Amino acid sequence: MIPNIPFKPKPRGRTLRPRQPMFHRVFEARLDNVRTVLNDIRKRFSGDVSDDTMGRLELVLAEVMNNVAKHGGEQASAFIRPSIHLCIVRHESGLACAITDDGVSLPSECLLPRSLPQIDQGALPEGGFGWYLIQDLTQALCYYREERRNFLAFSIPFTPEAA
Amino acid sequence: MPKLTVTPAEDHLTILVEESRLDAAISTRFKDRIREIVMTSRTAVILDMTNIEFMDSSGLGAVIAVHKAMPGGRVLELAGLTPNVERVFRLTRMDTVFKIHPSAQNVQEKRA
Repeated sequence: MIPNIPFKPKPRGRTLRPRQPMFHRVFEARLDNVRTVLNDIRKRFSGDVSDDTMGRLELVLAEVMNNVAKHGGEQASAFIRPSIHLCIVRHESGLACAITDDGVSLPSECLLPRSLPQIDQGALPEGGFGWYLIQDLTQALCYYREERRNFLAFSIPFTPEAA
Repeated sequence: MPKLTVTPAEDHLTILVEESRLDAAISTRFKDRIREIVMTSRTAVILDMTNIEFMDSSGLGAVIAVHKAMPGGRVLELAGLTPNVERVFRLTRMDTVFKIHPSAQNVQEKRA
């Protein structure tokens, strides 16, 4: 016989953590979708992280995802729009981000330590800043390719000096 | 088409950008439209960025392209950079290339 043990509620977990510490989205890699997703991320985390952290997160994610939208579909035969899976988790010291896509491989030079394009007043560079910004603003940037997907992970620290 | 308000003054032209984002989705059209405007200008041009809450490297590239397209050695000056826009100029050291004013109002007063 099963003894009749009165139900005791478990002690409640700490409620110090924000209620929605995570963001997850799967979407087609298009520039307008990137805009929408960035707006939704802002809604999810604003109030929870500082404007400065939000600004750095939005800039890095825009650079990474716009890059997939613009170049990830450039297959040898045709342009095949990749699908992006994005996950952001709020931790004690920052926001951990994981982005995967089924586009073409990320060229290895994107991840080599880089400096700013040379500033020559006569011939100013109009591009080449994206990966510099990503490297400058992130911590623990890591990339690998597995089968047909790119995997990119990094953290955005709450204090910019830590990057 | 990016929303812009162009206000000519005696010695300069102010272009107020009425968009909250200057990003990859809009940067090419933005660049083409502003280039058209500055090509016909005979004065300095002030790009008022007060309304832009977010700019990425494509947006920065568009501003640099306009700067390079300025005719006859005239300069493109910037005004009203919000924190997210200022960050991109600072991190890429492009804040050393452009003349940056706190606000378009400030430019009016200085030139008055």
